[in-house]
Amino acid sequence: MSSAIEVKDLYVQYKTKKGEKLDAVKGLTFDVKQGEIVGFLGPNGAGKSSTLKALMGFVEAKSGEATIFGETAGTPDARKRIGYLPEVAMYYPFLTPMETLTMYGELQGMRGKLLRNEIEDLLEVVGIAHAKNKLNRSMSKGMLQRVGIAQSLLGNPELLVLDEVTSGLDPVGRKELRNILKKRQEQGTTLFFSSHELAEVDMLCDRILLIHKGKFVEERDMHELKATLRNFYVTYRGDASMLGLTDAWNENPDGTKTARFEAKDGLVSAITRLQEKGGQILDVVSQEGSLEDYFIDTVEAAA
Amino acid sequence: MNFPAYRALARCVVLESLRRKDLWVVAILGFVILLASSTLGFFGFKGLEIFAKDMAVTVLGMFSTIIAILTSCRLVPDEVKNRTLYPLLARPITRLDLLVGKLIGAVVVTWISFLMLAALTALALTIFHVKFELIMVQYLLAKMLGLVVVCGFSMAFSVYMTPSASATVAFLVAFGAPMVTRGLVLAAAGNPSLTPICKIINTVLPQTSLFDLGGRAVYLGWGLVPVWVMGFLFAYGLCYSGAMLFVSWLKFRRQAV
Repeated sequence: MSSAIEVKDLYVQYKTKKGEKLDAVKGLTFDVKQGEIVGFLGPNGAGKSSTLKALMGFVEAKSGEATIFGETAGTPDARKRIGYLPEVAMYYPFLTPMETLTMYGELQGMRGKLLRNEIEDLLEVVGIAHAKNKLNRSMSKGMLQRVGIAQSLLGNPELLVLDEVTSGLDPVGRKELRNILKKRQEQGTTLFFSSHELAEVDMLCDRILLIHKGKFVEERDMHELKATLRNFYVTYRGDASMLGLTDAWNENPDGTKTARFEAKDGLVSAITRLQEKGGQILDVVSQEGSLEDYFIDTVEAAA
Repeated sequence: MNFPAYRALARCVVLESLRRKDLWVVAILGFVILLASSTLGFFGFKGLEIFAKDMAVTVLGMFSTIIAILTSCRLVPDEVKNRTLYPLLARPITRLDLLVGKLIGAVVVTWISFLMLAALTALALTIFHVKFELIMVQYLLAKMLGLVVVCGFSMAFSVYMTPSASATVAFLVAFGAPMVTRGLVLAAAGNPSLTPICKIINTVLPQTSLFDLGGRAVYLGWGLVPVWVMGFLFAYGLCYSGAMLFVSWLKFRRQAV
Protein backbone atom coordinates (compact mmCIF):
# COMPACT_ATOMS: atom_id res chain seq x y z
CA MET A 1 0.00 0.00 0.00
CA SER A 2 1.44 3.40 -0.93
CA SER A 3 1.85 6.23 1.55
CA ALA A 4 -0.52 9.16 1.94
CA ILE A 5 1.90 10.95 4.27
CA GLU A 6 5.64 10.41 4.48
CA VAL A 7 7.72 12.33 6.98
CA LYS A 8 11.48 11.89 7.19
CA ASP A 9 13.66 13.44 9.89
CA LEU A 10 11.45 16.51 10.21
CA TYR A 11 12.63 19.42 12.30
CA VAL A 12 10.41 22.43 13.05
CA GLN A 13 11.84 25.43 14.83
CA TYR A 14 10.17 28.63 16.03
CA LYS A 15 11.70 31.92 16.99
CA THR A 16 10.33 33.36 20.21
CA LYS A 17 9.65 37.08 20.57
CA LYS A 18 12.95 37.36 22.43
CA GLY A 19 14.71 35.87 19.43
CA GLU A 20 15.40 32.53 21.09
CA LYS A 21 15.09 29.40 18.97
CA LEU A 22 12.62 26.78 20.09
CA ASP A 23 12.64 23.28 18.63
CA ALA A 24 9.04 22.10 18.42
CA VAL A 25 9.69 18.96 16.35
CA LYS A 26 13.00 17.11 16.50
CA GLY A 27 13.72 14.60 13.79
CA LEU A 28 10.31 13.05 13.40
CA THR A 29 9.95 10.14 10.96
CA PHE A 30 6.71 8.30 10.21
CA ASP A 31 4.34 7.42 7.44
CA VAL A 32 0.60 6.99 7.01
CA LYS A 33 -0.62 4.48 4.46
CA GLN A 34 -3.53 5.24 2.15
CA GLY A 35 -6.88 4.30 3.66
CA GLU A 36 -5.60 4.17 7.26
CA ILE A 37 -6.99 6.04 10.26
CA VAL A 38 -4.00 7.13 12.31
CA GLY A 39 -4.19 8.94 15.62
CA PHE A 40 -1.40 11.34 16.46
CA LEU A 41 -0.96 11.44 20.21
CA GLY A 42 1.18 13.27 22.67
CA PRO A 43 0.83 15.50 25.73
CA ASN A 44 0.43 19.27 25.44
CA GLY A 45 3.44 20.84 23.76
CA ALA A 46 4.57 17.53 22.27
CA GLY A 47 4.70 19.02 18.78
CA LYS A 48 1.52 17.56 17.29
CA SER A 49 0.08 20.83 15.99
CA SER A 50 3.52 21.94 14.76
CA THR A 51 3.84 18.72 12.77
CA LEU A 52 0.39 19.18 11.26
CA LYS A 53 1.20 22.82 10.47
CA ALA A 54 4.39 21.73 8.72
CA LEU A 55 2.38 19.19 6.71
CA MET A 56 -0.01 21.96 5.67
CA GLY A 57 2.77 24.45 4.91
CA PHE A 58 1.74 26.91 7.64
CA VAL A 59 5.25 26.75 9.07
CA GLU A 60 8.41 25.97 7.20
CA ALA A 61 10.37 22.91 8.29
CA LYS A 62 13.91 23.71 9.40
CA SER A 63 15.07 20.46 7.81
CA GLY A 64 13.77 17.09 6.79
CA GLU A 65 11.23 16.06 4.26
CA ALA A 66 7.46 15.71 4.25
CA THR A 67 5.37 14.54 1.33
CA ILE A 68 1.64 14.11 0.77
CA PHE A 69 0.85 11.49 -1.89
CA GLY A 70 4.36 12.06 -3.19
CA GLU A 71 3.95 15.86 -3.49
CA THR A 72 6.01 18.16 -1.29
CA ALA A 73 3.91 19.02 1.75
CA GLY A 74 2.62 22.57 1.87
CA THR A 75 2.45 23.13 -1.87
CA PRO A 76 -0.92 23.93 -3.50
CA ASP A 77 -0.72 20.58 -5.37
CA ALA A 78 -0.45 18.71 -2.08
CA ARG A 79 -3.12 20.81 -0.37
CA LYS A 80 -5.54 20.11 -3.21
CA ARG A 81 -5.82 16.55 -1.89
CA ILE A 82 -6.20 17.46 1.79
CA GLY A 83 -9.15 18.47 3.93
CA TYR A 84 -7.91 20.26 7.03
CA LEU A 85 -9.64 21.06 10.29
CA PRO A 86 -7.71 23.46 12.53
CA GLU A 87 -7.49 23.01 16.29
CA VAL A 88 -9.64 26.04 17.04
CA ALA A 89 -12.43 26.44 14.53
CA MET A 90 -12.98 30.13 13.82
CA TYR A 91 -14.92 31.29 10.83
CA TYR A 92 -15.87 34.72 9.52
CA PRO A 93 -18.47 35.95 12.04
CA PHE A 94 -20.41 37.99 9.50
CA LEU A 95 -20.80 35.21 6.95
CA THR A 96 -23.34 32.38 7.01
CA PRO A 97 -22.24 28.69 6.85
CA MET A 98 -23.50 28.63 3.26
CA GLU A 99 -21.36 31.65 2.29
CA THR A 100 -18.38 30.36 4.27
CA LEU A 101 -18.45 27.00 2.52
CA THR A 102 -19.06 28.64 -0.87
CA MET A 103 -15.90 30.68 -0.40
CA TYR A 104 -13.80 27.67 0.62
CA GLY A 105 -15.28 25.62 -2.22
CA GLU A 106 -14.39 28.30 -4.75
CA LEU A 107 -10.86 28.45 -3.38
CA GLN A 108 -10.77 24.68 -3.83
CA GLY A 109 -11.60 25.22 -7.51
CA MET A 110 -15.24 24.17 -7.34
CA ARG A 111 -18.16 26.30 -8.49
CA GLY A 112 -21.74 26.48 -9.69
CA LYS A 113 -24.48 23.96 -9.06
CA LEU A 114 -22.03 21.19 -8.21
CA LEU A 115 -20.61 23.23 -5.35
CA ARG A 116 -24.04 24.32 -4.12
CA ASN A 117 -25.30 20.74 -4.08
CA GLU A 118 -22.23 19.47 -2.25
CA ILE A 119 -22.54 22.22 0.37
CA GLU A 120 -26.24 21.40 0.90
CA ASP A 121 -25.34 17.71 1.33
CA LEU A 122 -22.47 18.43 3.73
CA LEU A 123 -24.54 20.77 5.88
CA GLU A 124 -27.11 18.00 6.10
CA VAL A 125 -24.45 15.42 7.00
CA VAL A 126 -22.94 17.55 9.79
CA GLY A 127 -26.40 18.47 11.07
CA ILE A 128 -26.55 22.22 10.57
CA ALA A 129 -28.68 22.46 7.44
CA HIS A 130 -31.33 24.30 9.49
CA ALA A 131 -28.79 27.04 10.30
CA LYS A 132 -27.27 27.45 6.86
CA ASN A 133 -28.36 31.09 6.54
CA LYS A 134 -27.60 32.16 10.11
CA LEU A 135 -24.53 34.30 10.72
CA ASN A 136 -21.56 32.35 12.12
CA ARG A 137 -21.35 34.81 15.01
CA SER A 138 -24.70 33.61 16.32
CA MET A 139 -23.62 29.96 16.44
CA SER A 140 -22.40 27.91 19.39
CA LYS A 141 -18.89 26.45 19.55
CA GLY A 142 -20.22 23.01 18.65
CA MET A 143 -22.07 24.34 15.61
CA LEU A 144 -18.96 26.19 14.44
CA GLN A 145 -17.00 22.96 14.81
CA ARG A 146 -19.56 21.36 12.52
CA VAL A 147 -19.03 24.16 9.98
CA GLY A 148 -15.34 23.38 10.28
CA ILE A 149 -15.88 19.69 9.71
CA ALA A 150 -18.02 20.47 6.66
CA GLN A 151 -15.33 22.71 5.19
CA SER A 152 -12.71 20.01 5.71
CA LEU A 153 -14.86 17.51 3.81
CA LEU A 154 -15.48 19.87 0.86
CA GLY A 155 -14.29 18.54 -2.47
CA ASN A 156 -14.13 14.95 -1.18
CA PRO A 157 -10.42 15.07 -0.18
CA GLU A 158 -8.30 11.94 -0.27
CA LEU A 159 -6.66 12.81 3.05
CA LEU A 160 -8.23 14.39 6.12
CA VAL A 161 -5.87 16.12 8.54
CA LEU A 162 -7.79 16.93 11.68
CA ASP A 163 -6.37 18.79 14.65
CA GLU A 164 -8.30 18.06 17.88
CA VAL A 165 -11.23 16.86 15.87
CA THR A 166 -13.86 16.44 18.59
CA SER A 167 -13.14 19.72 20.36
CA GLY A 168 -16.40 21.49 21.22
CA LEU A 169 -18.68 18.61 20.27
CA ASP A 170 -21.18 17.03 22.65
CA PRO A 171 -21.40 13.19 22.95
CA VAL A 172 -24.08 13.01 20.24
CA GLY A 173 -21.95 15.18 17.95
CA ARG A 174 -18.92 12.98 18.61
CA LYS A 175 -20.82 9.87 17.70
CA GLU A 176 -22.12 11.49 14.52
CA LEU A 177 -18.61 12.60 13.64
CA ARG A 178 -17.22 9.11 14.21
CA ASN A 179 -19.83 7.75 11.82
CA ILE A 180 -18.97 10.39 9.21
CA LEU A 181 -15.26 9.65 9.47
CA LYS A 182 -15.75 5.87 9.38
CA LYS A 183 -17.91 6.27 6.28
CA ARG A 184 -15.23 8.39 4.64
CA GLN A 185 -12.64 5.74 5.42
CA GLU A 186 -14.84 3.09 3.81
CA GLN A 187 -14.84 5.30 0.71
CA GLY A 188 -11.03 5.24 0.72
CA THR A 189 -10.19 8.46 2.55
CA THR A 190 -7.08 8.46 4.73
CA LEU A 191 -7.45 10.05 8.16
CA PHE A 192 -4.68 11.55 10.24
CA PHE A 193 -5.77 13.28 13.37
CA SER A 194 -4.44 14.57 16.64
CA SER A 195 -6.54 14.28 19.75
CA HIS A 196 -6.46 14.33 23.51
CA GLU A 197 -9.64 12.29 23.61
CA LEU A 198 -8.27 8.79 24.04
CA ALA A 199 -11.75 7.29 23.85
CA GLU A 200 -12.11 8.72 20.32
CA VAL A 201 -8.70 7.37 19.39
CA ASP A 202 -9.71 4.00 20.77
CA MET A 203 -12.91 3.89 18.74
CA LEU A 204 -11.54 5.29 15.47
CA CYS A 205 -7.91 4.43 14.90
CA ASP A 206 -6.17 1.60 13.11
CA ARG A 207 -2.83 2.82 14.38
CA ILE A 208 -1.44 5.41 16.76
CA LEU A 209 1.75 7.46 16.69
CA LEU A 210 2.96 8.76 20.00
CA ILE A 211 5.31 11.72 20.29
CA HIS A 212 6.75 13.57 23.26
CA LYS A 213 8.80 16.77 23.37
CA GLY A 214 8.97 16.81 19.59
CA LYS A 215 10.41 13.30 19.35
CA PHE A 216 8.89 10.07 18.14
CA VAL A 217 8.16 7.69 21.02
CA GLU A 218 6.41 4.72 19.44
CA GLU A 219 3.78 3.57 17.00
CA ARG A 220 1.30 0.84 17.78
CA ASP A 221 -1.32 -1.07 15.91
CA MET A 222 -4.55 -0.48 17.80
CA HIS A 223 -5.68 -4.12 17.74
CA GLU A 224 -2.32 -5.30 19.04
CA LEU A 225 -2.24 -2.60 21.66
CA LYS A 226 -5.72 -3.42 22.88
CA ALA A 227 -4.75 -7.09 23.12
CA THR A 228 -1.70 -6.11 25.15
CA LEU A 229 -3.74 -3.94 27.44
CA ARG A 230 -6.45 -6.60 28.04
CA ASN A 231 -6.49 -8.24 31.47
CA PHE A 232 -8.17 -11.47 32.57
CA TYR A 233 -9.52 -12.01 36.06
CA VAL A 234 -10.34 -15.31 37.77
CA THR A 235 -12.26 -15.39 41.03
CA TYR A 236 -11.92 -18.73 42.87
CA ARG A 237 -12.24 -20.43 46.21
CA GLY A 238 -9.11 -22.21 47.39
CA ASP A 239 -5.49 -21.59 48.47
CA ALA A 240 -3.29 -18.95 46.98
CA SER A 241 -0.64 -21.61 46.39
CA MET A 242 -2.91 -23.31 43.87
CA LEU A 243 -1.87 -20.67 41.29
CA GLY A 244 1.79 -20.69 40.41
CA LEU A 245 1.48 -18.33 37.46
CA THR A 246 -0.46 -15.53 39.02
CA ASP A 247 0.69 -12.01 38.23
CA ALA A 248 -1.31 -10.63 41.10
CA TRP A 249 -4.06 -11.70 43.43
CA ASN A 250 -6.47 -10.12 45.85
CA GLU A 251 -8.24 -11.60 48.80
CA ASN A 252 -11.91 -10.59 48.73
CA PRO A 253 -13.98 -9.88 51.93
CA ASP A 254 -16.00 -13.11 51.47
CA GLY A 255 -12.81 -15.18 51.54
CA THR A 256 -12.64 -15.75 47.77
CA LYS A 257 -9.58 -14.72 45.78
CA THR A 258 -9.24 -12.83 42.47
CA ALA A 259 -6.18 -13.29 40.29
CA ARG A 260 -5.19 -11.10 37.33
CA PHE A 261 -3.52 -12.37 34.15
CA GLU A 262 -2.10 -10.19 31.42
CA ALA A 263 -2.00 -12.95 28.84
CA LYS A 264 -4.55 -15.51 27.76
CA ASP A 265 -2.00 -18.34 28.06
CA GLY A 266 -1.50 -17.59 31.72
CA LEU A 267 -5.23 -17.65 32.28
CA VAL A 268 -5.68 -21.04 30.61
CA SER A 269 -2.87 -22.70 32.55
CA ALA A 270 -4.15 -21.19 35.81
CA ILE A 271 -7.64 -22.59 35.21
CA THR A 272 -6.17 -26.03 34.45
CA ARG A 273 -4.05 -25.90 37.62
CA LEU A 274 -7.04 -24.81 39.72
CA GLN A 275 -9.13 -27.70 38.38
CA GLU A 276 -6.31 -30.19 39.05
CA LYS A 277 -5.80 -28.99 42.62
CA GLY A 278 -9.50 -28.93 43.49
CA GLY A 279 -10.03 -25.17 43.47
CA GLN A 280 -13.53 -23.85 42.76
CA ILE A 281 -13.69 -21.36 39.91
CA LEU A 282 -16.41 -18.78 40.59
CA ASP A 283 -15.94 -16.23 37.79
CA VAL A 284 -13.74 -15.48 34.78
CA VAL A 285 -13.73 -11.93 33.40
CA SER A 286 -11.93 -10.36 30.45
CA GLN A 287 -11.46 -6.59 30.81
CA GLU A 288 -10.18 -4.00 28.30
CA GLY A 289 -7.12 -2.18 29.59
CA SER A 290 -7.06 1.58 29.86
CA LEU A 291 -5.53 3.48 26.96
CA GLU A 292 -5.09 6.36 29.35
CA ASP A 293 -2.81 4.29 31.59
CA TYR A 294 -0.82 3.18 28.57
CA PHE A 295 -0.54 6.79 27.39
CA ILE A 296 0.59 8.11 30.78
CA ASP A 297 3.03 5.24 31.37
CA THR A 298 4.57 5.56 27.91
CA VAL A 299 4.91 9.32 28.10
CA GLU A 300 6.44 9.12 31.57
CA ALA A 301 8.90 6.50 30.37
CA ALA A 302 9.85 8.71 27.42
CA ALA A 303 10.32 11.84 29.57
CA MET B 1 -3.48 34.46 -11.99
CA ASN B 2 -6.16 32.71 -9.94
CA PHE B 3 -9.21 34.89 -10.67
CA PRO B 4 -11.83 32.62 -9.05
CA ALA B 5 -9.81 32.72 -5.81
CA TYR B 6 -9.47 36.53 -5.98
CA ARG B 7 -13.21 36.85 -6.51
CA ALA B 8 -14.04 34.54 -3.59
CA LEU B 9 -11.66 36.32 -1.22
CA ALA B 10 -12.72 39.82 -2.29
CA ARG B 11 -16.40 38.94 -1.93
CA CYS B 12 -15.73 37.76 1.62
CA VAL B 13 -14.04 41.10 2.49
CA VAL B 14 -16.93 43.10 1.01
CA LEU B 15 -19.66 41.00 2.67
CA GLU B 16 -17.93 41.19 6.05
CA SER B 17 -17.52 44.94 5.70
CA LEU B 18 -21.17 45.45 4.69
CA ARG B 19 -22.52 43.29 7.50
CA ARG B 20 -20.16 44.77 10.09
CA LYS B 21 -21.86 48.03 9.14
CA ASP B 22 -18.56 49.77 8.31
CA LEU B 23 -20.34 51.49 5.46
CA TRP B 24 -22.90 52.89 7.87
CA VAL B 25 -20.18 55.22 9.08
CA VAL B 26 -19.87 56.47 5.51
CA ALA B 27 -23.62 56.94 5.25
CA ILE B 28 -23.65 58.93 8.51
CA LEU B 29 -20.76 61.06 7.26
CA GLY B 30 -22.69 61.69 4.06
CA PHE B 31 -25.71 62.70 6.08
CA VAL B 32 -23.57 65.15 8.07
CA ILE B 33 -22.32 66.64 4.80
CA LEU B 34 -25.91 67.06 3.59
CA LEU B 35 -26.86 68.70 6.87
CA ALA B 36 -23.87 71.07 6.75
CA SER B 37 -24.72 72.02 3.16
CA SER B 38 -28.30 72.80 4.07
CA THR B 39 -27.03 75.12 6.80
CA LEU B 40 -24.92 76.92 4.22
CA GLY B 41 -27.96 77.09 1.99
CA PHE B 42 -29.94 78.71 4.78
CA PHE B 43 -27.48 81.61 4.88
CA GLY B 44 -27.47 81.91 1.10
CA PHE B 45 -25.19 80.04 -1.24
CA LYS B 46 -24.29 82.75 -3.74
CA GLY B 47 -20.55 83.27 -4.00
CA LEU B 48 -19.88 80.26 -1.82
CA GLU B 49 -20.03 77.67 -4.62
CA ILE B 50 -16.29 77.39 -4.98
CA PHE B 51 -15.77 77.27 -1.23
CA ALA B 52 -18.43 74.54 -0.95
CA LYS B 53 -16.89 72.50 -3.77
CA ASP B 54 -13.43 72.91 -2.26
CA MET B 55 -14.73 71.72 1.09
CA ALA B 56 -16.50 68.81 -0.56
CA VAL B 57 -13.42 67.47 -2.40
CA THR B 58 -11.26 67.96 0.71
CA VAL B 59 -13.71 66.06 2.91
CA LEU B 60 -14.15 63.38 0.24
CA GLY B 61 -10.41 62.92 -0.13
CA MET B 62 -9.84 62.79 3.60
CA PHE B 63 -12.62 60.38 4.54
CA SER B 64 -12.01 58.04 1.64
CA THR B 65 -8.31 57.85 2.57
CA ILE B 66 -9.20 57.10 6.19
CA ILE B 67 -11.58 54.33 5.09
CA ALA B 68 -8.95 52.88 2.72
CA ILE B 69 -6.33 52.76 5.49
CA LEU B 70 -8.61 51.36 8.19
CA THR B 71 -9.98 48.67 5.85
CA SER B 72 -6.61 47.57 4.47
CA CYS B 73 -4.62 47.66 7.71
CA ARG B 74 -6.67 44.98 9.40
CA LEU B 75 -7.06 42.51 6.55
CA VAL B 76 -4.09 40.24 7.20
CA PRO B 77 -3.59 40.82 10.97
CA ASP B 78 -7.28 40.06 11.62
CA GLU B 79 -6.98 36.78 9.73
CA VAL B 80 -4.04 35.79 11.94
CA LYS B 81 -5.62 37.02 15.18
CA ASN B 82 -9.00 35.38 14.54
CA ARG B 83 -7.38 32.16 13.25
CA THR B 84 -9.47 32.33 10.08
CA LEU B 85 -6.23 32.12 8.13
CA TYR B 86 -5.79 28.36 8.60
CA PRO B 87 -8.76 27.10 6.58
CA LEU B 88 -7.83 29.64 3.88
CA LEU B 89 -4.20 28.59 3.62
CA ALA B 90 -5.27 24.94 3.67
CA ARG B 91 -6.81 25.48 0.22
CA PRO B 92 -4.78 25.02 -2.95
CA ILE B 93 -3.96 28.72 -3.29
CA THR B 94 -0.65 30.52 -2.88
CA ARG B 95 -0.06 33.16 -0.24
CA LEU B 96 0.24 35.71 -3.05
CA ASP B 97 -3.27 34.74 -4.23
CA LEU B 98 -4.49 35.40 -0.72
CA LEU B 99 -2.90 38.87 -0.61
CA VAL B 100 -4.20 39.80 -4.07
CA GLY B 101 -7.74 38.68 -3.19
CA LYS B 102 -7.69 40.58 0.09
CA LEU B 103 -6.33 43.73 -1.57
CA ILE B 104 -9.01 43.62 -4.26
CA GLY B 105 -11.63 43.28 -1.51
CA ALA B 106 -10.24 46.30 0.35
CA VAL B 107 -10.18 48.35 -2.86
CA VAL B 108 -13.80 47.44 -3.65
CA VAL B 109 -14.96 48.38 -0.11
CA THR B 110 -13.06 51.67 -0.35
CA TRP B 111 -14.49 52.44 -3.78
CA ILE B 112 -18.05 51.72 -2.64
CA SER B 113 -17.56 54.04 0.35
CA PHE B 114 -15.98 56.73 -1.81
CA LEU B 115 -18.72 56.60 -4.44
CA MET B 116 -21.43 56.66 -1.75
CA LEU B 117 -19.85 59.73 -0.19
CA ALA B 118 -19.35 61.34 -3.59
CA ALA B 119 -22.99 60.71 -4.56
CA LEU B 120 -24.29 62.20 -1.32
CA THR B 121 -21.96 65.21 -1.62
CA ALA B 122 -22.96 65.76 -5.23
CA LEU B 123 -26.63 65.57 -4.22
CA ALA B 124 -26.08 68.14 -1.48
CA LEU B 125 -24.30 70.52 -3.85
CA THR B 126 -26.80 70.03 -6.68
CA ILE B 127 -29.64 71.05 -4.38
CA PHE B 128 -27.97 74.46 -4.18
CA HIS B 129 -27.44 74.61 -7.96
CA VAL B 130 -23.66 74.21 -7.83
CA LYS B 131 -22.37 73.48 -11.32
CA PHE B 132 -20.12 70.55 -12.14
CA GLU B 133 -17.97 70.06 -15.23
CA LEU B 134 -16.83 66.85 -16.86
CA ILE B 135 -13.49 67.13 -15.08
CA MET B 136 -15.33 66.09 -11.91
CA VAL B 137 -15.63 62.60 -13.43
CA GLN B 138 -11.87 62.62 -14.06
CA TYR B 139 -11.37 63.74 -10.46
CA LEU B 140 -13.41 60.75 -9.24
CA LEU B 141 -11.52 58.32 -11.49
CA ALA B 142 -8.10 59.64 -10.47
CA LYS B 143 -9.07 59.57 -6.80
CA MET B 144 -10.21 55.97 -7.12
CA LEU B 145 -6.83 55.05 -8.64
CA GLY B 146 -5.10 56.88 -5.80
CA LEU B 147 -7.11 54.90 -3.27
CA VAL B 148 -5.72 51.67 -4.77
CA VAL B 149 -2.22 52.95 -3.93
CA VAL B 150 -3.32 53.84 -0.38
CA CYS B 151 -4.81 50.35 0.10
CA GLY B 152 -1.60 48.81 -1.28
CA PHE B 153 0.83 50.49 1.09
CA SER B 154 -1.53 50.18 4.08
CA MET B 155 -1.71 46.41 3.59
CA ALA B 156 2.06 46.19 3.13
CA PHE B 157 2.64 48.04 6.41
CA SER B 158 0.19 45.74 8.21
CA VAL B 159 2.21 42.67 7.21
CA TYR B 160 5.33 44.10 8.88
CA MET B 161 3.79 45.92 11.87
CA THR B 162 0.96 45.66 14.37
CA PRO B 163 -2.40 46.93 13.04
CA SER B 164 -2.32 50.14 15.10
CA ALA B 165 1.31 50.91 14.19
CA SER B 166 0.64 50.22 10.51
CA ALA B 167 -2.45 52.48 10.54
CA THR B 168 -0.45 55.30 12.13
CA VAL B 169 2.39 55.00 9.62
CA ALA B 170 -0.11 54.72 6.75
CA PHE B 171 -1.84 57.94 7.88
CA LEU B 172 1.53 59.70 8.08
CA VAL B 173 2.49 58.52 4.61
CA ALA B 174 -0.91 59.25 3.04
CA PHE B 175 -1.20 62.76 4.40
CA GLY B 176 2.48 63.60 4.81
CA ALA B 177 3.96 62.28 1.55
CA PRO B 178 2.74 65.20 -0.61
CA MET B 179 4.40 67.68 1.77
CA VAL B 180 7.62 65.66 1.94
CA THR B 181 7.68 65.34 -1.85
CA ARG B 182 7.35 69.10 -2.29
CA GLY B 183 10.03 69.67 0.34
CA LEU B 184 12.39 67.27 -1.41
CA VAL B 185 11.91 69.01 -4.75
CA LEU B 186 12.77 72.35 -3.13
CA ALA B 187 15.73 70.81 -1.31
CA ALA B 188 17.08 69.32 -4.54
CA ALA B 189 16.64 72.65 -6.34
CA GLY B 190 18.52 74.45 -3.58
CA ASN B 191 21.31 71.91 -3.29
CA PRO B 192 21.92 69.83 -6.47
CA SER B 193 24.18 67.38 -4.60
CA LEU B 194 21.06 66.15 -2.78
CA THR B 195 19.26 65.39 -6.03
CA PRO B 196 20.05 61.61 -6.16
CA ILE B 197 18.91 61.07 -2.55
CA CYS B 198 15.79 63.18 -3.10
CA LYS B 199 15.01 61.19 -6.25
CA ILE B 200 15.34 57.86 -4.42
CA ILE B 201 13.08 59.00 -1.58
CA ASN B 202 10.57 60.39 -4.06
CA THR B 203 10.54 57.10 -5.95
CA VAL B 204 9.88 55.12 -2.80
CA LEU B 205 7.22 57.46 -1.42
CA PRO B 206 3.76 57.12 -2.93
CA GLN B 207 2.94 60.17 -5.05
CA THR B 208 -0.62 60.46 -3.79
CA SER B 209 -0.87 64.12 -4.78
CA LEU B 210 -0.66 63.07 -8.45
CA PHE B 211 -4.12 61.57 -8.11
CA ASP B 212 -5.66 64.67 -6.65
CA LEU B 213 -7.41 66.63 -9.40
CA GLY B 214 -9.50 68.42 -6.75
CA GLY B 215 -8.01 71.84 -7.53
CA ARG B 216 -9.01 71.62 -11.20
CA ALA B 217 -12.42 70.18 -10.36
CA VAL B 218 -13.29 72.99 -7.95
CA TYR B 219 -12.61 75.95 -10.21
CA LEU B 220 -14.71 76.32 -13.32
CA GLY B 221 -13.09 76.73 -16.69
CA TRP B 222 -10.38 74.09 -16.44
CA GLY B 223 -10.13 71.82 -19.40
CA LEU B 224 -10.09 68.05 -19.22
CA VAL B 225 -6.89 66.31 -18.25
CA PRO B 226 -5.34 64.63 -21.35
CA VAL B 227 -6.02 60.94 -21.74
CA TRP B 228 -2.30 60.10 -21.61
CA VAL B 229 -2.08 61.67 -18.15
CA MET B 230 -4.96 59.49 -16.96
CA GLY B 231 -3.20 56.53 -18.59
CA PHE B 232 0.00 57.41 -16.75
CA LEU B 233 -1.89 57.66 -13.45
CA PHE B 234 -3.42 54.25 -14.12
CA ALA B 235 0.00 52.74 -14.90
CA TYR B 236 1.63 54.37 -11.87
CA GLY B 237 -1.19 53.22 -9.58
CA LEU B 238 -0.93 49.68 -10.91
CA CYS B 239 2.90 49.57 -10.63
CA TYR B 240 3.00 51.06 -7.13
CA SER B 241 0.25 48.76 -5.79
CA GLY B 242 2.00 45.84 -7.49
CA ALA B 243 5.24 46.81 -5.79
CA MET B 244 3.48 47.04 -2.42
CA LEU B 245 1.92 43.64 -3.01
CA PHE B 246 5.38 42.25 -3.74
CA VAL B 247 6.76 43.83 -0.55
CA SER B 248 3.88 42.27 1.44
CA TRP B 249 4.49 38.88 -0.16
CA LEU B 250 8.23 38.97 0.64
CA LYS B 251 7.39 38.88 4.33
CA PHE B 252 4.16 36.90 4.25
CA ARG B 253 5.29 34.06 1.96
CA ARG B 254 7.44 32.44 4.67
CA GLN B 255 5.74 33.80 7.75
CA ALA B 256 4.86 31.08 10.26
CA VAL B 257 1.18 31.27 11.13
